[in-house]
Amino acid sequence: MSKRDVLMEVENVSVTFGSGANAVEAVKNCSLTLHEGEPIGIVGESGSGKSTLARVMAGLQPPSAGQIRFRGDNVFKGNKSFQSGNRNQVQMVFQDPYGSLNPQLNGLSAVAEAVRIHTKVGKDEAEQKALELLERMGIGKLDALKKPRQLSGGQRQRVSVARALSANPTVLLADEPTSAIDQSAQAQLLKLFLGLLNDGLSIVLVSHDLGVIRYLTKRVYVMKDGVFVESGDTETVFNDPQEDYTKMLLASIPGELGKAARAKLKK
Amino acid sequence: MTSDVKLLDVNNVAIGIERRKRETLVLVREANFDVNYGEMVGIVGESGSGKTMICRSIIGTLERRGASVIGGEVLFEGLDLRTINEAKWKTLRGKVIGYVPQSALAGPNPVLTIEKQLAEALSQVEGTGSMKNRSKELLDLVKIRRVDTVMKQYPYQLSGGMRQRVMIACALASKPKLLIADEPTTGLDVTVQSQIMELLREIRSDLGTAIILISHDLALVDEVCDKIVVMHAGATVEVGPTSSMSKPRHPYTVALNSSRIDVAKPGGELITIKGNPPSVGQWNPGCRFAERCDYVQQDCLVGDHPALSGKKGEHQSACLHADKIGKI
Amino acid sequence: MSKKAKTPRPDGTLGTIIGSGMMAALLLAGLLIPWLGKYDPDEISSDQLLSPSSTHYFGTDMLGRDIFTRVFDAVFVDIGTAFAGVLIPLTVGTIVGTLLGISRNRRVNSFIGSLIDGINAFPFLIFVIALVAFLGAGLSSIILALSLVNWARYARIARTRAVVVNQQAYVEAARTLGYKPSRILFRHIIPNVSSETRAYALSDFTIVIIAVAALSFLGLGVNPPQAEWGAMIKDGANIITLAWWNSVFPGLAICWAGISVAVFSEGLTKRIGEGNQQ
Repeated sequence: MSKRDVLMEVENVSVTFGSGANAVEAVKNCSLTLHEGEPIGIVGESGSGKSTLARVMAGLQPPSAGQIRFRGDNVFKGNKSFQSGNRNQVQMVFQDPYGSLNPQLNGLSAVAEAVRIHTKVGKDEAEQKALELLERMGIGKLDALKKPRQLSGGQRQRVSVARALSANPTVLLADEPTSAIDQSAQAQLLKLFLGLLNDGLSIVLVSHDLGVIRYLTKRVYVMKDGVFVESGDTETVFNDPQEDYTKMLLASIPGELGKAARAKLKK
Repeated sequence: MTSDVKLLDVNNVAIGIERRKRETLVLVREANFDVNYGEMVGIVGESGSGKTMICRSIIGTLERRGASVIGGEVLFEGLDLRTINEAKWKTLRGKVIGYVPQSALAGPNPVLTIEKQLAEALSQVEGTGSMKNRSKELLDLVKIRRVDTVMKQYPYQLSGGMRQRVMIACALASKPKLLIADEPTTGLDVTVQSQIMELLREIRSDLGTAIILISHDLALVDEVCDKIVVMHAGATVEVGPTSSMSKPRHPYTVALNSSRIDVAKPGGELITIKGNPPSVGQWNPGCRFAERCDYVQQDCLVGDHPALSGKKGEHQSACLHADKIGKI
Repeated sequence: MSKKAKTPRPDGTLGTIIGSGMMAALLLAGLLIPWLGKYDPDEISSDQLLSPSSTHYFGTDMLGRDIFTRVFDAVFVDIGTAFAGVLIPLTVGTIVGTLLGISRNRRVNSFIGSLIDGINAFPFLIFVIALVAFLGAGLSSIILALSLVNWARYARIARTRAVVVNQQAYVEAARTLGYKPSRILFRHIIPNVSSETRAYALSDFTIVIIAVAALSFLGLGVNPPQAEWGAMIKDGANIITLAWWNSVFPGLAICWAGISVAVFSEGLTKRIGEGNQQ
């Protein structure tokens, strides 16, 4: 098992919404590579196009130009994605914990449904597996039976992760998973992600917070107005940012990291 | 500016909702902190800790939700806010006490242009000059460029950060003595967040406005506030000047501090707080943090929730074993 | 001295219990009384226009039939017709509206959309009356007419809601997880759309109960001798000063039915509101 196996390739991808005078280019000619064992981060502010890029990688949005490949196979054929049966390999966790779960289903039902679809086991076995998965995510049996509105933002995110993991994916795309939850819930979720990384899952983390990116990823792509302005090893970009925009992002991180970056800026 | 009368004194405040069958659901058991003139105080806690309820007791919107202060006192410049009527509230709310709501939940009125919003806020207050000029001054105060363009726009045409600035501008129209900012940057990008924090800092130093900043983010509060109040499960568990809070004396604060992402090693161990914050009303006897506490002892599980040690103004902790915590 | 909170939050459970109790009582009576009662609902006798007494609780009508028995004989007719007249538009409207809301086909969307808006533009009752007159009197015509007119009202609600639901992250998540489109539609989208259309159905039910009676009053409903509230009111209309009991009791039955549904739905709304507030 080569650590440098290429899992996903984004090649010259552009995404344009609308047409003619109203056309908006959300993503402009972006390229990146996801290697096994090397979690990557895509960092940028709202409107940078990072969420659109994540959705393209997840097969939810066809690119207007360029290719996405998963293990060498094109993800998109026309507007349809993952036709060759790899659909379960690339899963996604969405930003808004309040809209990520079907309000009518409790955590157990939501995850069990996913388990049943992907492993074709019976109802009882699926529920058992679902409970185990939820337990791994720190959601106990009592909470698993609660409907989403009875759970906190952090708990909802963890149920979403459990659901995504039911598909047994190789790649997990996380679009701003920590933005809408408490600091303590953030820490729990990030610790969870770290555990998953150590278990062999490849994660693509999209965020506006470089602090979170620094904690989890090995490689980072800085995105502004649809374009990658800087990319490289996370530590290197952190300690020695080249672009002004990257420096500005670093300076905005709350707490110690931001302080250090701001001190450097003043020099 | 020192004075014997504090701007705001929250003393053993308890807040509850009367449910049917005459049961009272206690939302806040014991809140204790004070705010001096021109001070920036941060209130940190998870959801359900009661921080928003306290906010509401200071601006008098508890009644609307069926809640009321059931114990303790909230003194604003010596005046007990529990005893005043709605007419008196109208002279305080939006005038001497300003409020900026959470950005994701509320914002400027979607059907009014920014100019109209500001005019509405300014009409409550006396001032010199035309409404238009005064409005432009306010937008200037919150560092909005292209003032003429923005005045004519509707909220949907502005970004989240700009909308928050407009809300802050409206709150500042009356030059309040106290500004309460309830999670003003939650849900906004970090870049916008840092700009808004910078703005609040300037407002504090240029206008002398005291600010209460409510947040769940300890790193944020640590950077900008003079004093930090930590709430957990409806009670104040630790309070003190920011400088001494870097050596926390309550296990909850210790845990919050340790779970900060900015001090974690990349890819390294991230300390998290066990379990979930207790749901409102489902509180066990003894210390409510005991279930999630790494240093829990036998005496923590029984009796009443521990009270805050020491005096107001000092570094106080509601942990029975606070002295040992300091040494960890 | 602290100010007490003004009102404790209202509890909806009482409403749902009273409402469903009232309806259950009505239905039970509608089942038992024609079957176990002293008189046959269609039994003609020479005891015409007797006022209410201990032998005829609600009096008798022009043909000597016992009104008490007839009022309850009509229960399943009126309520059943109203029920069908709500259930069919609810189902059809929800499905069509949902499909429209998630469809990206512009032509279909604008065609059916215009159809829906067009139907909704007409005043409900007048349109229904015209249709029933066209189709010929009878309960099945009433149900058909109600369905043809009302589905559009449900479809409009469903379409708006479906557009929103379709954009929710959980629907995207279902797609990412590779769920089949039919599963996504029936297990994820429709249940979240129908919560709104079902709420509307409850308030619609009250109106339809009255509409059914109104149509029968106009002579467009059942054929005699079947007992039916609207027809009974009509029969008693000319003699209302002489024999008020002919019209009043069926009228009260309609009120009872309508109020039970209204009280139930009020209580339900409060309960859902309470749940959401937590």
